[in-house]
Amino acid sequence: MDPMILIQMLIAAVIGVVVYTAIGVAPGTDETAVLAPVTLALVVAGIPLPVVLAFFMAAIVAKKLTDSIPVSVAGIPGGVMSAPMVEHAMTLKREGQATLAIRKMASGSVIGTLVAVPISLFLAFLLTPLADVLGQYASQIFFLGAVFLALMSREKVISLVSIVVLAALIQALRHFYWGMGVIPEGRVVFISFFLGITIGPMMFNLAQLLVNRERRAMTVTEPKTIQIYKTDDEHKLPNPFRILTRQETASAAASSVLGSVTFFMSPVGITIFLGEVMSSWVKGTVEKASRALSSMDAVTNAAYIAGILIPLAALGIPMSPMAIGPGNAFFNAPPVLTLEQNAHHLMSFSEIAIASILGAGIALLITYPIAVRYARQICVFVFRHIPHEAFLAMFFALVMLLAYMDAGVMGILGVMVLALVAGLLNRWGVNYGVQFMTLYAAPWLMGLLA
Amino acid sequence: MPAKDRAFLNVWDDTVSGRDLLISLTIATLLSLGGYLLAPWPAPGPLVLGIAGAILGFFISALLFRPKRRLDIEGEA
Repeated sequence: MDPMILIQMLIAAVIGVVVYTAIGVAPGTDETAVLAPVTLALVVAGIPLPVVLAFFMAAIVAKKLTDSIPVSVAGIPGGVMSAPMVEHAMTLKREGQATLAIRKMASGSVIGTLVAVPISLFLAFLLTPLADVLGQYASQIFFLGAVFLALMSREKVISLVSIVVLAALIQALRHFYWGMGVIPEGRVVFISFFLGITIGPMMFNLAQLLVNRERRAMTVTEPKTIQIYKTDDEHKLPNPFRILTRQETASAAASSVLGSVTFFMSPVGITIFLGEVMSSWVKGTVEKASRALSSMDAVTNAAYIAGILIPLAALGIPMSPMAIGPGNAFFNAPPVLTLEQNAHHLMSFSEIAIASILGAGIALLITYPIAVRYARQICVFVFRHIPHEAFLAMFFALVMLLAYMDAGVMGILGVMVLALVAGLLNRWGVNYGVQFMTLYAAPWLMGLLA
Repeated sequence: MPAKDRAFLNVWDDTVSGRDLLISLTIATLLSLGGYLLAPWPAPGPLVLGIAGAILGFFISALLFRPKRRLDIEGEA
């Protein structure tokens, strides 16, 4: 490989780590919202693909490491993916073990990354011959995934019903855009729908503010009190393998393998599922929570890494939530990349492997020590100086921007409708996993019923 | 909007003031869509400027408004 490209990859990875270490701490930051637009811009701007991939892998690993920080330090999720971990982190906090939570989670992240990169490359190697067959059945796989996640969730009936309803709404909006002539017929709007579902709960909240009765119910006289847990300051760098017990390491590694194999499923759903399974046979409050946290953090990393690497190296179609969401730009970024001629076709297997290992490696080396040592300081700074209004406004603006880019003013209206419905369904217990899978399966499902 | 400024709203798991939220949303959306629409360059120029607008909006709101949170830090007086 050209040494100039290697140096560029190195620089890109460091930039990715620095930026996304900071973003990871911010409450509620979603991978798709913060990564998809940036990656898209880099690809379209003509940056060499291995450099973009190194940046992307570094950003993902850094963000996954840091979004566990607010969970452990204040019981607030740093992103959609870390929401299921809050309960277990609170358990450790109640036991006076807040420091333990961040260490278990960060170590889980390290294991997840170390396991997922080689496993994904190996799976990619095995799956290459299956590419054509799997590609043909992607929609069916997504549909079955939605049904599976609905059946695994607490609110099974509404989740199952919402698959059809949400698919109908999504296709209705696409045909509405085509019918209004705002986008050429056949071009499939995706990114803004994905973001619409992602910020559904927030949009639903904002809409509630417009309703007098609802607003009165949301009004409080005191600001929210956030308790920052006492953590022991740690100045020497703890070895991630020492922090986890042998059983925890084994659970985390096994979860990572399963998370990699199920790369086409929703990572949030798989995380919740595997976290519960892995901790279900553990006795003792602290032990159970530690096992769940380390395994869940490992799965989120593995599912994300495999979700981008396997479709990229083996399949050439964005056949995973990760590839079709945050990493979408590698598969479809007109006019630079198209579904027929994308990063899968333009990069060799070794280029993909080198860029991924470099990006993930640099992220681990820089972010792991920071996350473990300065978790509390980072959190206190963000909570003290960054108002919630600023986050809400940035998300809102980014979604409006991408919706406008997708389909103009009609795109903005469409996303508002979708976000409102998705937010309501979310409140009723239909999780993101079911909703995302439905988004991917919608064209096929509606085609079947028409 | 709330009768007194001492009232806070619970939005997306944190407390905000209705007035500050409205101003923040307006600033970020105007900067972002404005950047996209007014960018003089071909793609990806408008997208880059739009994202930059959203991020600039974030920093402006962060400087203009104080967080409505009370920190209770264990181990500090």
